[in-house]
Amino acid sequence: MDDKILQIINTVLTNRGKKTLEVFNRDLRLRDDIGFDSLDLAELTVRIEAEYGIDIFEDGIVNTVGEILKKIK
Amino acid sequence: MELFYVDEQNSEIITWNNFIDQINTTKIYNRFCYNSSIYSVLKHITISIIYNKPIILLDGDFTIDEIENLTGEREFSRFEEKLNQKLIKDKNELIKILQHESFDKWSLTLFTSGTTGLPKKVTHSYRSITRNVKTSEIHKNDIWGYAYNPTHMAGIQVFLQAIINGNMLVRLFNIIPSLLFSSIEKYSVTNISATPSFYKTFLMSNMTFPSVKVITSGGERFNESLSLQLKKIFPNARFKNIYALTEAGPLFTSTGDIFTVENTEMIKIEDNRLYLHHSLLGNFNFDDEWYDTGDIVEIVGNNPLQIRFLTREKELINVGGYKVNPHEVEQVLLQLDEVNDAVVYSKTNSVIGNIIVADVILSKPITEVQIRKFLSSKIQEYKIPRIIRFVDKIELSRTGKIKRI
Repeated sequence: MDDKILQIINTVLTNRGKKTLEVFNRDLRLRDDIGFDSLDLAELTVRIEAEYGIDIFEDGIVNTVGEILKKIK
Repeated sequence: MELFYVDEQNSEIITWNNFIDQINTTKIYNRFCYNSSIYSVLKHITISIIYNKPIILLDGDFTIDEIENLTGEREFSRFEEKLNQKLIKDKNELIKILQHESFDKWSLTLFTSGTTGLPKKVTHSYRSITRNVKTSEIHKNDIWGYAYNPTHMAGIQVFLQAIINGNMLVRLFNIIPSLLFSSIEKYSVTNISATPSFYKTFLMSNMTFPSVKVITSGGERFNESLSLQLKKIFPNARFKNIYALTEAGPLFTSTGDIFTVENTEMIKIEDNRLYLHHSLLGNFNFDDEWYDTGDIVEIVGNNPLQIRFLTREKELINVGGYKVNPHEVEQVLLQLDEVNDAVVYSKTNSVIGNIIVADVILSKPITEVQIRKFLSSKIQEYKIPRIIRFVDKIELSRTGKIKRI
């Protein structure tokens, strides 16, 4: 599951022409560390929903990679 | 030192004295404003007003192709003209000029997503654009969080409201969340006007902002659960919704989702569609008496007339308050030899209202990265599909659900 999420995050980064992540770290913050803006997060949530059927931002409070994993468990 | 504009992201701190000095030392004017610096755009607008000259606002992130499509020009240096310099003494004199002169030769032109392909050009006079600016003693100490693009209607409205009252502006637009939160605290921002998508950023802050007294929201529908959460984050704020159009400026305000219409003879509702009287509109290619907004409303009360917005009939896609015309994006995709057919539509999500998705049928191989590179040379970033799917056949409906990406 970690690999799949890493791959989705990297797809979003590649599409924006940003550097992809090599190591997966659950503490990474989506906005401040990975550098996602609102549009990136919107794309991320649509891609994750397509894969897992879960809207991770439904209640608006996902800040880190680890919190995504918790939501889709 | 009285501050006029601060931008923590670019470390710009402009006092009123700096601002007035820079206006006083400007010698050349160009009616076309195509600049990616927010402060430069605000200064350009101010100079155009003071010198009573027309201004044409172009988004700083328009591509050269888009600029040429809109204006017929790729370059604007031949529009430069020398100014007969006027000297402004100080802040008070500037405000007095802005409040009392009529600026009959000034006009402001901007572009809005048209329904048929190309963006639509709309021109406003000083009188029509400042119709909703409120000046009074109670606004004297307002500090505005600036959360809109300065080349769009909402950004112009906030700017004029602030400058005409001599208020300070704090940039909140397109900055990283940590700076957004600290800027509001540091400068004790009292008023913010923004889209619901923008306000969603605050849900992750775990902070409260007691300095904020008025929260205005527009551009998209505001849902009740967001509003309840925001009331905790801005405990001292009054909440206001605003319905505005680039063609007309702000029209109605409300506290919840029901808007009260004061000027009932200026609007007409037929088959639940909202029409505006032409006297409310700026100047664009339109000659009829009533203008169809494309918005579908329901009447929830009479005396006074109260309406609720249900949906838009137009096919424009609202991406965090920016309107995207899917036909425009499709036409650009079809310019690629490798693309046989394309359909552009929206996918709703809970972060911002919609993102843009394109289904594309290829005739020859091309990668998603190559398509993106081509699109970014042709159209603004927010119009570029976030998800491009290569498909064998195109679904008929734009609202068709995606099962798998």
